[in-house]
Amino acid sequence: MSKAALNAKAQIIRLLVPAGKAAPSPPVGPALGARGVKSMDFCKEFNARTAHIEPGIPVPTLITVQPDRSFSFVTKTPPTAYFLKKAAGIEKGTGRPGHEVVGTVSLKHIYEIAKIKATDQHLKHLRLEAIASTVVGTAKTLGIQVVP
Amino acid sequence: MSFVHAFRQQLRLNAFWAPRRCLATQSSPAAAQAKADSGSASSSPKSGEPAVAKSSCAENTVLVGVNYLKGQPEVLAMPDEAYPPWLWTLLQPKEIPDDGPGGKGEKIRLRKANRQRIRDQNFMKTQ
Repeated sequence: MSKAALNAKAQIIRLLVPAGKAAPSPPVGPALGARGVKSMDFCKEFNARTAHIEPGIPVPTLITVQPDRSFSFVTKTPPTAYFLKKAAGIEKGTGRPGHEVVGTVSLKHIYEIAKIKATDQHLKHLRLEAIASTVVGTAKTLGIQVVP
Repeated sequence: MSFVHAFRQQLRLNAFWAPRRCLATQSSPAAAQAKADSGSASSSPKSGEPAVAKSSCAENTVLVGVNYLKGQPEVLAMPDEAYPPWLWTLLQPKEIPDDGPGGKGEKIRLRKANRQRIRDQNFMKTQ
């Protein structure tokens, strides 16, 4: 195989970017710049696509950079842990899950969070019940107690 | 309960958990006993009885953080009946079905027991 064919692989970058607030140097700039992507282009397009989301909320994105330096990206729903921490009113999860409880959340919260996550592309084949049980699992690792 | 009754009960239980040579399914002697006891004492629950006792989250409480879209109104909790029935069983431990030897339930149980045994062995190695 020629060297050109070996270099022809798409690079994938995973980032957690605050909605509507892209283009800061530390997280986004070097990660993209190292792959040869103009960060301003990405940030403009990202902010346009996340305009419907409350600014500041972390949005996981998957950026695929082709060998010719063109890029495309996919945005997903905010992390489950973010929703749970907001619902329980805490800043950080516990350092000792299973031993410490730092917050409480109701099953109704779990239902609404699962409804949001169900809109994600990589989860849409699952039953809502299955998604809800994964949300309960995340709550367990955060040290958030789920009550009926 | 007399000593003989307790002794016989223990023997039946031990015999049940010994490896079975016949393929026919056997109901556990403890379960059969409990069924016989409760059938006469308590009446069966009404079919329309709600599964959830009471949710701690009253109707119309604001669910914080769920409205992450711009300009989205606050999400309020609905009355208990508006939620699907499986929601209230989420916190209960998962029941592994018993489809007899060779069924999926046996596989799940064996794997669970294997994983627990490995965890115990690993822990004992640290002691």
